[in-house]
Amino acid sequence: MTVTVPQRAAVDRAEQEPAILVSGLRMRYGRRDVLDGLDLRVHRAELFALLGPNGAGKSTTIEVLEGYRLRSGGEVSVLGQDPARDDPAWRARIGIVLQSNRDHGRWRVAELLDHFARYYEHPREPAELLRRVGLAAQADQSAATLSGGQRRRLDVALGLVGSPELLFLDEPTTGFDPEARRDFHALLRELREERATTIVLTTHDLTEAQELADRIGILESGRLTACGTLEELAAAARADSEVRWRGPDGEPRRLLTADPSQAVWELHQEFGGPIPDLEVRRPTLEDTYLGMVGADLDTTEAS
Amino acid sequence: MNPLALGLRRGAIELRQILRSRKDLYTYLSTPLVFLGVSYWRSGTHGSGGGLTQLSLAGGIASTIFMFGLMTVPQFLFGDREDGTLLRLRGVPGAMTAYLVGKTLFVLATMAASIVLLLFGGALLLHAQLPQSPGQWLTLVWVLVLGIAAVVPMGAVVGSVLPPAREALALYMMPMVGLMFISGAFAPLRNLPAGVRDLASVFPLRWIAQGVRSALLPDGAKALEVSDSWQHLGTASMLAGWMLAGFLLAPRLLRRMARRESGSSLSEREQKRLAKTAY
Repeated sequence: MTVTVPQRAAVDRAEQEPAILVSGLRMRYGRRDVLDGLDLRVHRAELFALLGPNGAGKSTTIEVLEGYRLRSGGEVSVLGQDPARDDPAWRARIGIVLQSNRDHGRWRVAELLDHFARYYEHPREPAELLRRVGLAAQADQSAATLSGGQRRRLDVALGLVGSPELLFLDEPTTGFDPEARRDFHALLRELREERATTIVLTTHDLTEAQELADRIGILESGRLTACGTLEELAAAARADSEVRWRGPDGEPRRLLTADPSQAVWELHQEFGGPIPDLEVRRPTLEDTYLGMVGADLDTTEAS
Repeated sequence: MNPLALGLRRGAIELRQILRSRKDLYTYLSTPLVFLGVSYWRSGTHGSGGGLTQLSLAGGIASTIFMFGLMTVPQFLFGDREDGTLLRLRGVPGAMTAYLVGKTLFVLATMAASIVLLLFGGALLLHAQLPQSPGQWLTLVWVLVLGIAAVVPMGAVVGSVLPPAREALALYMMPMVGLMFISGAFAPLRNLPAGVRDLASVFPLRWIAQGVRSALLPDGAKALEVSDSWQHLGTASMLAGWMLAGFLLAPRLLRRMARRESGSSLSEREQKRLAKTAY
């Protein structure tokens, strides 16, 4: 398994244990099992993306981990503690960015961030953080007057102000324009690389998961059906690479294969030299995801 | 910083926000101003400080306490639940305690400002009488303190059990407004049928209003009360009962409400809200 763990001065025992360890997590609403024996392990300082169709239990999983929901069964340890205990010292080590927030609309942006910084022992400098998320110009504006994307960035800043060891992001880039999304991705990479923050995010955006995540988990009807790096997922899904070239007759050709290297070598033999317009495309997360979850589910995903 | 200090800071920030926003300032000033206006208009003698001015002012003060406690406080909780404020606080260590401290400070301060405005505004503008003796001042203080303690925690109870739907809030408000008309705050209780009087006597407004009248009106005015007396003992015990019930229930129900808040229930409500505004 290839997980890039950033350089750190000391890796003590506490940091070697996983940030999140879940086994046999069950969640029952009425007579329906929303989570049905979920197993999950998230390492320290990794960015883990949770994917899955709507209703698969992503939000429920995150809420159990955040200590917002009491589980019906199973073992859960987050930063070495059971989130159901909801202990303030443990809370202070966790940052949460929720899907939809309109709270504290009357508060000014800087005033709000500054206030929430005071609840933590080692907060980030609010003014610096505001600059980092690109809201310095809006510091004196009231939160209610922010645009959708600006409000999301304020939510992210509020989630980060306590310098959390573990950050939960529930569909963080919904409503971001491409530039805001790029900036946000840079922020996440910086968190992971410079602060060794563990990040768990749910997303609908497969490209985003592919670009950011060290490991990806796919949640389907209450179970984690696949989990690993992009390569591992592709291998598990037997997703094929695509090889394209131009045939001797000038017509474009296309081949799907699990072993593109072999295919290209054979083409070389065939052509006795360079292959015109050769293109090899590795399976994307989308190919893999669709191979696993099925195209029918993806249509509900998009809606 | 400890949650208590953070709560006071929160309350101070939210109070400052009223002063910053003209709209908020008008909203908070409107209630005492309306009561002052009513007292002026009802006096008939136009500001010569007759007994009717006094009666109306007493009703206004009592109604202010009642409205803040049992209408504004539930509205605050309702709004803070609906927009995700409480959920945010749940994720921050110590923030829920700070919130309660801050809101208490906020409500007490705005209440006190309204009462002061009515009491001294009435005296200056309408030549209404302030309490005439140390005894009456003392009565005013204990009635106000006990009255506030009776309605504010109970308002928090209501706010934490209201279902998260605008309709529920509106449905709750209607009987509260009704109570203002049958509690003797503006029209003498004696003129009401006994059944209505008994109903009003279950709720705190009737008692707060009677208590405030006993502090602002000359002793002879008690002849106008239902039982020809100020019924201080009855007032104190009724208000103390409400206070006890409120202080017993509020912490449990607030905790339960906070526990139930989750991101998915919030986004569900948000979607319903957006669906409604789309029509």
